[in-house]
Amino acid sequence: MTSVVTSNESIREIEQLLYKEASLLDRPDLDSWIELYTDDGTYWMPAIEDQEDPLNHISLFYDDRVIMEVRRRNFVHPRAASKDYKVRCSHIISNIQVTEMDEKTGNCTVTSNFHCFMYYRDKQTPYAGKYTHELVRDGNGYKIHHKRVDLINCDAALNTIIIYI
Amino acid sequence: MAYSTREIDDLVQTTRFHRNLYTDPEIFDLEMERIWGRSWIYIGHESQVPEPGTYMTLNFGKMPVVMVRDKNNEVHVLHNRCGHKGAKLVDLPCGKIGGFRCCYHGWTYRLDGKLLGVPYMEGYEGTGFDKEDPQYSMQKLARYDSHRGFVFASMNPDAPDLKTWMGPAADVMDNLCDRAPEGEVEAAGGVLRYEHECNWKAFIENLNDTMHPMIVHRSVVDAAEDYMKTLPEESTRRDEAEILPPFGQSYKYMEDMGITGFKYGHHYDGGQHSIHAAYTLDPEYEAAMLKAYGKERMHEILSFNTHNTLYYPSLTIKSAVQNIRVVRPIAHNKTIIETYSFRLKGAPDSMLRRTLLYSRLINSNGSMVGPDDLTAYSRIQEGLKSTASDWIEMHRNFGRDEVLEDRTVGKGTSDLDVRTQYAAWKEYMTGAGA
Repeated sequence: MTSVVTSNESIREIEQLLYKEASLLDRPDLDSWIELYTDDGTYWMPAIEDQEDPLNHISLFYDDRVIMEVRRRNFVHPRAASKDYKVRCSHIISNIQVTEMDEKTGNCTVTSNFHCFMYYRDKQTPYAGKYTHELVRDGNGYKIHHKRVDLINCDAALNTIIIYI
Repeated sequence: MAYSTREIDDLVQTTRFHRNLYTDPEIFDLEMERIWGRSWIYIGHESQVPEPGTYMTLNFGKMPVVMVRDKNNEVHVLHNRCGHKGAKLVDLPCGKIGGFRCCYHGWTYRLDGKLLGVPYMEGYEGTGFDKEDPQYSMQKLARYDSHRGFVFASMNPDAPDLKTWMGPAADVMDNLCDRAPEGEVEAAGGVLRYEHECNWKAFIENLNDTMHPMIVHRSVVDAAEDYMKTLPEESTRRDEAEILPPFGQSYKYMEDMGITGFKYGHHYDGGQHSIHAAYTLDPEYEAAMLKAYGKERMHEILSFNTHNTLYYPSLTIKSAVQNIRVVRPIAHNKTIIETYSFRLKGAPDSMLRRTLLYSRLINSNGSMVGPDDLTAYSRIQEGLKSTASDWIEMHRNFGRDEVLEDRTVGKGTSDLDVRTQYAAWKEYMTGAGA
């Protein structure tokens, strides 16, 4: 995919949003993270390469706002055994490209590469792949309407993925 | 140490089993040889090899095998090994071929495994090598057969036939297929593969363990209920709201589900009702079922509500949800669980979408249910390294299960399921049931 020409100013603004999201997931702080999404926002992690559809094929994650809210509450519940352990992540985002831009509304699609190291239950697991963010204008800023996370090993026998990547 | 038959027999007793069953790699090797080597093991569904030349690969215990459909539309289960130097012949999860061709020296085989071609045959002339000798073809597994499209295979030439082995537990697989207006199902929507750092038995012992959901899944039930009650009542009905909360059902509810055990280690919980029984009936699906079966038969099919059904040791199915999980042991402390979803032929697409939603919400690596179960299994795997006790107990409702002619029935919280598994384990492992 090729990058569409946009001003330095808007690229900076988009980058800052991606970095902010990544740092909230680093902690992870789901209360603040969820606020980056629109009310009809979705988070999708496909289970195969080039998956076309989140509903008619199995996915690792496909959360709308309702399931995000359930997950946010579950994540801090005192009786969730899998959540007894600290989760710490380090996300690095690069190769950011604006692949679509509606000049009128400012809504755009942004792709990037990510590396995420996740420390959980005495184990550090590396994840890598590509993000696709669909961003919509919200007042002076942007909100995330849809985020797609394509892991390069999405079809491998993975272990638990305890939190959004 | 090498275990004698007597020593193995002692590891499983009426109401307890020895921790070595989880922690000793030697026991794991014996299980692969004697349970995987003697029972019927689930391979895949015929719909996963829909046309001649299509194949899927898997590990049968430790051995690489391939399920393939030949030119006559017959499905075979073959050892995935070249008759020459032994290289795996196909190495992708699935694909389509005209015939097998080895990547190393180019030996070729028909889709039913028969050796066809060996390059530069001159070198073999007068050496005693005979290309027609069946030992150089791909070897068929000793037995393979299918029930309603579900293919099983056995390494044991003396195994009872598949129908006998399934026994009355086949009712649940029949129910899964009968839930399709056309009476058939097909694998659809791909597979989830989930690595579990635990012994394979930890997973299957949990299937009908009805004493854990209200503890292990409390958090997601609370989270779902807390949030969903803040939603306006007139908001669209959500399948999630029907799927998640029943995991928090009471002991009484679980008790009333009941557990039924069978010969060869099979069992299920539920029957009259289960945590899947209260799903809203899709009107379009109901109409298709009514047309196909009539009111009485439709009611009969849809009111048989089991939760998990185990075909010991490798397959567990949810007929009311239309998904299955397959147990692929790797080592004494490592197992891969595969989740497949099924389409009910003749049903609206919404039914498959609900099945996939269930698989994603409950069984996925990223779900809020499976990872909590796995945390318990892996803690068992770690805890049993302790020498505090050599035994794991299985007493619940012992002596109160009702032994009938072809099955044993007990209350839903009974350890009847685990005792049923270990009776089969003992028979396979000591050779009594072979």
